Amino acid sequence: MANLDDLMKLNGAVAAFSYTDEGELTESRIEDDSLNNDVLDMLAHMCVANTAIATMQARGWQKLTGMEGFYPVEGFALMGLEWSAVTNNHVGVVLKNDGADYEAAYQALHS
Amino acid sequence: MLKKLLILNGVMAVAQFRDDGAYVEGYGAMPEEELVRLTHFAHDYKRMVQGNVDQLSMFAQVNGWTPPGGWIVRGPAMTVCSISNVVAVVNNNETSLTEVMKEMNEVAHY
Amino acid sequence: MSLISELAATPGVLAAGEYSFRGDRFHFEGDMDDELARMASIMCRATSMGVHMQADMMSQFAEKCGWVPVRGWMVKEKNYSVCVVANYFCFLDHNNASVNDVVNKMQATLGEPGIDMV
Repeated sequence: MANLDDLMKLNGAVAAFSYTDEGELTESRIEDDSLNNDVLDMLAHMCVANTAIATMQARGWQKLTGMEGFYPVEGFALMGLEWSAVTNNHVGVVLKNDGADYEAAYQALHS
Repeated sequence: MLKKLLILNGVMAVAQFRDDGAYVEGYGAMPEEELVRLTHFAHDYKRMVQGNVDQLSMFAQVNGWTPPGGWIVRGPAMTVCSISNVVAVVNNNETSLTEVMKEMNEVAHY
Repeated sequence: MSLISELAATPGVLAAGEYSFRGDRFHFEGDMDDELARMASIMCRATSMGVHMQADMMSQFAEKCGWVPVRGWMVKEKNYSVCVVANYFCFLDHNNASVNDVVNKMQATLGEPGIDMV
């Protein structure tokens, strides 16, 4: 699992967090006053829900079309007005949109 | 007609919304602000369930699921259920969910 | 050149398109047939509706929530990624295309997100 302190080193990182299979927050690092553990807990639940939906879609798409390479899902990201959340494998990072490097985030989450 | 649901055991609140999500009316043991929020959630959730059921039909190539008639989310003590544009909050220990859904179906299609 | 044409012409991009939130029309370019593009539109639309609802709920937990209104979402799969901004989607092979370039291009072209999903 990726190290939260390493995730905080990503450009524009304002928070990093880990969560259970169900989305319950287990650990966090926060560097923005408008974020707190309750918000990250909701965010983690949201990412778990959307990863599950994406997994269903990838499964269905692959079976129906015969196209390989969609399953399994290796990350879900939400792009908001100012921030983005990138998550995978029980860990996530919140980045400022301005200068967000999604590929670097995925790479860090995979490590 | 909506108030008819409140007579049923365990029904805490009922509310109705338009197809665009706008609040129409609501009754029960909840301030109106929360009833409005309940209808917004129910409207959004209905569209989300509809979207996921469409995908189930599409991927599984099986008819009979879509369009969905309603949904039930059951928690440890409370349940939120909806049919068409009517939503209700019920207490699990005091209610027959089957009866609530049956009545709600009638009210929703009145 | 439209955003869809530009994305579709990007090396590594499988297809790009747009869909209406009402679900009654879609348009696409790229290496997909009409039926696949229709399915892709249905999938993207369903997830977008869910994400909007969830972000609205999340904004009630945080006064200055930087997620609302939602610009889009992205899912990384084994070899492919799906990027959605507003009502535009892009399927790309992330081993041969840059997710950053695609998302930045989509965000820069589509601008600030609208609150209503029409």
